[in-house]
Amino acid sequence: MKNLYSILAATGLALVISGCGSSSVSTPSNDTLDEKKLCNVESNGIETVLATAVQYNKIAKEHGVEFKRLGMTNTQYIAGSQEALKIGAKKVVLLNKKGKPTKNSVTVSYAVERACKFAVSALTQEAEGKNTWRAAVPGDGFTY
Amino acid sequence: MLLNIVKSTALVAFTSCVLHAGEFNVQAEKDRIALGDYMVAKFKDAEKNKDKFFPYSTDDELKNNIKKDIPLEDFSMGNYAFSIQGQFSYNEIKDMPPYEELIEQGEEIYNDNKALQKCFPDVTIAGEYPYFDETKKEVVSLTGAINECLVDAGQKKWNEKKGKMAFVQSYFAYSTTEAEKKVDMKITSADAAAAYERGKEFYYTQRGYLKLSCATCHVQGAGKRVRNESLSQLVGQTTHFPVYRLKWGKDKVENGLGTLERRMAGCVKDQGQVPPKTDSKEMKELLYFMAYMSNGMNVDGPDVRK
Repeated sequence: MKNLYSILAATGLALVISGCGSSSVSTPSNDTLDEKKLCNVESNGIETVLATAVQYNKIAKEHGVEFKRLGMTNTQYIAGSQEALKIGAKKVVLLNKKGKPTKNSVTVSYAVERACKFAVSALTQEAEGKNTWRAAVPGDGFTY
Repeated sequence: MLLNIVKSTALVAFTSCVLHAGEFNVQAEKDRIALGDYMVAKFKDAEKNKDKFFPYSTDDELKNNIKKDIPLEDFSMGNYAFSIQGQFSYNEIKDMPPYEELIEQGEEIYNDNKALQKCFPDVTIAGEYPYFDETKKEVVSLTGAINECLVDAGQKKWNEKKGKMAFVQSYFAYSTTEAEKKVDMKITSADAAAAYERGKEFYYTQRGYLKLSCATCHVQGAGKRVRNESLSQLVGQTTHFPVYRLKWGKDKVENGLGTLERRMAGCVKDQGQVPPKTDSKEMKELLYFMAYMSNGMNVDGPDVRK
């Protein structure tokens, strides 16, 4: 009987050591964020929308899902918008992949809205992706 | 009593490890086989299976540009496995490949560097990377291993995307190809399997402002045309790196050769996202998954791509 207890205790301990128990790390849910509402410059004001962009882009960077369009990261969109608002410029100059200014520019309002939408979408998409990625795996969710 | 528990624990844990040692790659093998089956089915007869696999392609390109009945092993050639027109220009470039002198440069760098010779006495190891280091509990890429070797010897790290790093890797790849070795990936622990799974999730997850996954183009999209290019397939994607890209080498031949990390960073950028750093855990695990999908295929590098 003693041996049986030993084996049962040992088996339990071995299972714990070998990591058979499951663990999950909870992350904040970002799948309910509404980018159209949050990033509307007309209804929220440009400063608020820019603050929203800063707030969510920080999380996107931490999660490794920050957006980048052509050569310009969302951090650069935010920095360009902040600088433009500070000096009272009407346009944000777009940068190339080396971080140098190009001939192209967008209005500050457009840049802020884009920065906000990029920041929020990166997170909603990340949350959505956790549930949808298997649908593309042959032999798993993808059938043909 | 306590001693018995300790002894039995050790015995059960050891037995458990032995029993499961060969089973940690079960899921990866299922994935690899399912992916291979899909690609073989997809390219069995593209013209005939147009509705199923190539609904947006023209009849002309399916008839004149996509080969039929491609054996799995041929996918190690990348999109040249199926693209008739692509293979024609590829064969012409291969007559005098632009990377030949860069392989020689890689060999010279290796022969002049005692630290590299000590760390990599066997140069036919291109098919064994990346691997999961059970002591460090992380994936080790060839790029990472070379830089670690240099730093341990008091030397500076190399650029992880091109230059000396790519030259030496091309020498390793060439030597491995000459030795007729195959991709030899292993998953021998739960930690390694978890790293593989994270790499797989990265590959199949939609990302960036374009909301594309790697698989959008290279699994479901493989063989489809984007502008004038046929998209390559995941199977065989890692067998031929480093590669010389005509696009990279247009200004300077030396810049044309790039590591797999360079290519993957470019792909993630194309999806509209800031790519993971070349020496990051995410990048290494992504490469680990991709390499496993080519497990058992011939190493066939370095190679040339557009």
